[in-house]
Amino acid sequence: MAGRGRGGKTGTLTAEQMQALGCVGKDMPQVQSAPPPTFPPVLSKPITLETTTAQSYQLLWKEDFLNRMRDSPYYIISASQEKKKTDVKDWREKAVDRLKYRAQAEFNYKAMPKELNATSRKRTAAELRPKQVEKKNKNIEDRLKQLEQKELKSGGGGDNDNDEAKQDSDSEREDEQEDPDAALDDEMDEENDYANDYFDNGEAYNEEDDNMDDGPVY
Amino acid sequence: MSADYADLCSALLEQCFGKVVQAVADCLFSANTRTLSQIVSSTKLSRKEVTLALAVLIKFRLVNFEPSMINAYLPEYSLKREDIICLLRYSRYIHLVQSKYGSIGASIAEELLNSGSDTATSILVKCLTNGENKSETAENYRDIFHKMITDHYIIKTPELITNEDQDELIPKFLTTECDFFVPPIIDLQLLTKIQSGEASVENAQDSAMVWNLNYDRFHQEFRDDVMKLAVERKLGENAAECFRFILKIMYNTTDPWQRVSFLTYIFVHKRLMIVALQRASNQVTFGEIKQAIEKKSKNLDLMKHLDQYIALITDDSLGFLRKVGDMGGGQYVVDMERAFESLAFACVESVITERFGSKAARIFRVIRFKKFIEQEDLQKEAMIPAKEAKSLAYNLFQEQFIHVRVIKKAGGGGSGPAKAFYLFQIKTKDTVRMLLDVCYKALYNIIRRSNYEKSEHKGLIEKSQRLDSIVETMKERGESEDYIAEIVETFTPPECEILNKVKHRIKTLSKAELTLDDTIFLLQMYQHHCTMLPTGIQKFK
Repeated sequence: MAGRGRGGKTGTLTAEQMQALGCVGKDMPQVQSAPPPTFPPVLSKPITLETTTAQSYQLLWKEDFLNRMRDSPYYIISASQEKKKTDVKDWREKAVDRLKYRAQAEFNYKAMPKELNATSRKRTAAELRPKQVEKKNKNIEDRLKQLEQKELKSGGGGDNDNDEAKQDSDSEREDEQEDPDAALDDEMDEENDYANDYFDNGEAYNEEDDNMDDGPVY
Repeated sequence: MSADYADLCSALLEQCFGKVVQAVADCLFSANTRTLSQIVSSTKLSRKEVTLALAVLIKFRLVNFEPSMINAYLPEYSLKREDIICLLRYSRYIHLVQSKYGSIGASIAEELLNSGSDTATSILVKCLTNGENKSETAENYRDIFHKMITDHYIIKTPELITNEDQDELIPKFLTTECDFFVPPIIDLQLLTKIQSGEASVENAQDSAMVWNLNYDRFHQEFRDDVMKLAVERKLGENAAECFRFILKIMYNTTDPWQRVSFLTYIFVHKRLMIVALQRASNQVTFGEIKQAIEKKSKNLDLMKHLDQYIALITDDSLGFLRKVGDMGGGQYVVDMERAFESLAFACVESVITERFGSKAARIFRVIRFKKFIEQEDLQKEAMIPAKEAKSLAYNLFQEQFIHVRVIKKAGGGGSGPAKAFYLFQIKTKDTVRMLLDVCYKALYNIIRRSNYEKSEHKGLIEKSQRLDSIVETMKERGESEDYIAEIVETFTPPECEILNKVKHRIKTLSKAELTLDDTIFLLQMYQHHCTMLPTGIQKFK
């Protein structure tokens, strides 16, 4: 009883139904066993489209708009595509790229979920760096002054070098204590370091070498 | 939403925003909501690319976000599927604004479309610096901006609720309908300062108010145009003008996008019945129409024979206007449901005529008129030879324009074939939906073909563009015409011929796009007014 009962409706009629509808013998349409052709012949010629002034205005505007969008910063090209493009770029594309660079996308990130604002993270990182640089710059100036004072006091001597080395290490420690952000950054770096996850138990040692020693196998 | 519509949306987004946005939108199309990490994992794009694509889609109002049901701090994104097709209609919006407000209005609308959504000050600054008509004053721009707001063509987006205490992960918005069309205060002095670089846009008073185009106000205008054109073609210009006034009066008391949604349950003969209460607009009286025409129209012929024109529209088979009472010289209602049913089926009939011929259209009309009809009766009623009628009916059935209803005779059973009646019928909603899908598919094919033509002849098109720009600069420099002609001749005649052919083909395809969109719009209006299917159309969008 397959094909009968409460099954879903099929698009075509059964032979029985066709007979009831009056299709007998030659009238019966042929059973389709293959998908219809991709480009079936057009039985009647379609009507030619008339172009009104409104339509021609719209066509021009649309073409212009699509070109503008393609050159706008909102037209996003994936990194892989961009790589391909840079290999075969002519002067025009480069000029467009330069224009794109100039016209930056304007997003109201306040009205969007915070996770979309990728620049906010960068900013925090960028804000941290100048602080460190400033501190280091200050340290260098202080240090030079200290050194000058020492030179003046002691008037030079072989033991001073060791003292300086000690002082150096002391001052570095102080820096670390003073600058918790930098310390945090260092920790983060360690976490991100892929080498941390790598562990070699030494079992594989010399395995490859052995094979190599045997020479090529033919 | 059909697969054809999904393909079309994907192609439209690729045209406007590139492949990354297309991939993100495709991912969102296939699900109700998705989180950022889900999109990243399914699209296999980098997180940075996905966030950028989502930001673009939110800016252009094509994606919504809401806190997740499970985790209130996790946003979930959803695609506004119905709005993607609006990308196709941008040129129509601009044309409408151009005809209503001139080039100033067009440049304001253009800037709004280019940037998705923006503050009034920022838009006006862009118009004043980039616009074609730089001679216009900032005051003119401001006035037209205000006028477009009061006419509801520009709408304010819900305002952001700012909390100083905490930095929220998902912003919240305050939606107050009264605020949507309140014109902002635009400081003209600040505009000139921003132009000269003395101040920035962020200093403006209205920096928290973001504006964008109210698409459905444009759709309302397009819908009215469709109806007016139909009346004009059938009953003449005066009747069309009369109908225009009737629509205008109707909008004073009726929601323009009112649907058959006021359902009520009543018991009739102990059976629960669902009745749609409000099927048409609120009433418009003859007196109101007369007053409005006397005030605003100079058409003396219309004024003289107003009652006859109204009677003409009311008696017409299109059924746009219905008389419901005699109070105040006659009470009338605009029946959108009936109007779009007749318009949509006129469209379906014309499609059948073009595809299968006028005899098939006659068969379709007979079935529609009779509602249910047997094969034998059909050929008699349509007055078409039996064999031809059978083949045409089968073709229509195969292409799903008509359907078959089987009514089994009770008590058949036993041996032999089951006795049953096979009646042809038209499932109106299914037929329209099928035709709409065909339109989506055709539109997608057009875009694909157009892209193919462009990529196939990319070198030739770019060469001609380069040549044009060189010739232009040479003309500006005042080079001799012989030299210019020599340069132009570098584009050989066979190349020229191929380019002209390609350009003609692309233009024909673009024209077909516009014409198809007209059909899609009409069928969508049918779906909005005659079915309960979600269409995404609302008064404020």
